[in-house]
Amino acid sequence: MSTLRPTESPRIGFVHVSIVAALVMLVSSWVFVLGWDRQQSFSFFSTETAGRAWGFIQDLAGVGRTSEPAYAQLSEWSRTARLAYDTLAMSVLAIMLAAMGALVTFMLGARNVMGGGGLPAGVTFGLVRASWAFARAVPELVWALLAVFVFSPGILPGAIALAIHNYGVLSKLAAEVVEGMDMRPVEALRSSGAGRGKALVYGVLPQALPRFMTYLLYRWEVVIRTTIVVGFVAAGGLGMEFRLAMSNFHYTTVSLVLMWYLILVLGVDAASAGLRRLAR
Amino acid sequence: MRSKPVEMTVLRRVGEPRLFESRRVLTLILTAALAWSLLNVGWSDGVLHAGGLAALREMGGALLTPDLSGEVLAKLVGSVWRTLAYAFAGLSLALVIGFPLGLVASGVLRSDGGGRDPFRWAARLLLAHLRAVHELVWAWLFVAAVGLFPMAAVLALALPYSGILGRVFAELFQDVPEGPLRALRSAGASETQVFWHGRVPFVLSDALSYTFYRLECGIRSATVLSFVGLGGLGFHIQVALADLAYSRAWTFILGLIAMIVLVEAWSSAIRRRVTL
Repeated sequence: MSTLRPTESPRIGFVHVSIVAALVMLVSSWVFVLGWDRQQSFSFFSTETAGRAWGFIQDLAGVGRTSEPAYAQLSEWSRTARLAYDTLAMSVLAIMLAAMGALVTFMLGARNVMGGGGLPAGVTFGLVRASWAFARAVPELVWALLAVFVFSPGILPGAIALAIHNYGVLSKLAAEVVEGMDMRPVEALRSSGAGRGKALVYGVLPQALPRFMTYLLYRWEVVIRTTIVVGFVAAGGLGMEFRLAMSNFHYTTVSLVLMWYLILVLGVDAASAGLRRLAR
Repeated sequence: MRSKPVEMTVLRRVGEPRLFESRRVLTLILTAALAWSLLNVGWSDGVLHAGGLAALREMGGALLTPDLSGEVLAKLVGSVWRTLAYAFAGLSLALVIGFPLGLVASGVLRSDGGGRDPFRWAARLLLAHLRAVHELVWAWLFVAAVGLFPMAAVLALALPYSGILGRVFAELFQDVPEGPLRALRSAGASETQVFWHGRVPFVLSDALSYTFYRLECGIRSATVLSFVGLGGLGFHIQVALADLAYSRAWTFILGLIAMIVLVEAWSSAIRRRVTL
């Protein structure tokens, strides 16, 4: 690493220690993962595992079943189309709720906006930042497990769970945009007589919004991938169908759900790329 | 117009009021999307569960009294270690898979940029498919296929992460400025030498920084993918909630938050030092 930054030896010290620590963790992790094998009746790296995996792939394809595989039946496709539709709605609702939460709070958590505002601003800043950290640190799936106890089953609990986590992510990204921004338009507005609020709305928002939209669309791509996962527990859309099909050993339906999943993910990626061009 | 307040004229000048201005179209699309998604919520069933408010109150109360008994704390430490082990092993495997794929996908190994190289396009397609599927879906499929092995968790994490790392490495290799590379070439360096002495040193710090960022994400993912029975933090949270033991669930959730906040601080400290 010394070729990287030869002039900053004290800083490299920390990075060196970190890399060594990461390597130690890496080795002990592999020792743990592979050592666990010896306590089992058969080990992971064996022909038995390979046989099971191959059998599973055949189950997914529906080899050796008398009935026609689900993914070859038009009626199954149209039945699951409704679930795919719900899943898409869940992802859109989630990202929109998250965006609204982020739009309301992102300025309150930007260091350069809130700095020098006295004690009330400092307290607000701290509270808002803490709410983001809390929302972000808890994964979507855990939020979903909690949300199913509170909200009626359907797309709502899943959407709320995704929204809470992404509220934390989007707000932090938006605040970082504001913190890295040119503040001269705000000063110009202030000196021409605009109040603090107005100066921020007209000085900050026009600069920050395009970037914010881009982040929103990027996060939508992540959200659609996670929606199926949240559906496992939150009783909605394709995730629920995946879970049911798995528990009932309807493996060809699992394949069908995975096909829908890929269609949704690739479709959303394309849609987001198109919309990002509009935001520019 | 003259009587309008100052901020109106500022606004007018910034946002030209053309009907089909692209940002306006985007705003319209997003508003319509929100309305459409709201229509799909089954409002007739009511927003809250029958016992929803009571459950919420109980959860809130339990947050203030997490279960700190010795048995639960021992389980917490064990599951934190297991989560970290999955993340480190999974990420290292993702590096081993993702780096060569990313290298091929970037096309930098060929002097013509690999525009028509079939291997390059195959690598890009493979990377896109690896990252399309969420790690928990992979985990569930692996567990269903071969059983509850830690290797199932490691592979489930490694596959989507190699897709992400591969794409980012490919972009990093492509973004190396041409100047120094041309200088090396004109001094007679082969394409391999240009790679090792021109591109690698340039990319190293960004790649290191991004890997640590992904490690942070991997720890979060490892929590989630243990849900399918692989015994990490997520598994214990799920079991506690299935028992309606909110206090025990919060112990694990708070432990998870502490772990993630610490890892985030560590990873951002490294990234600050490496890429400044």
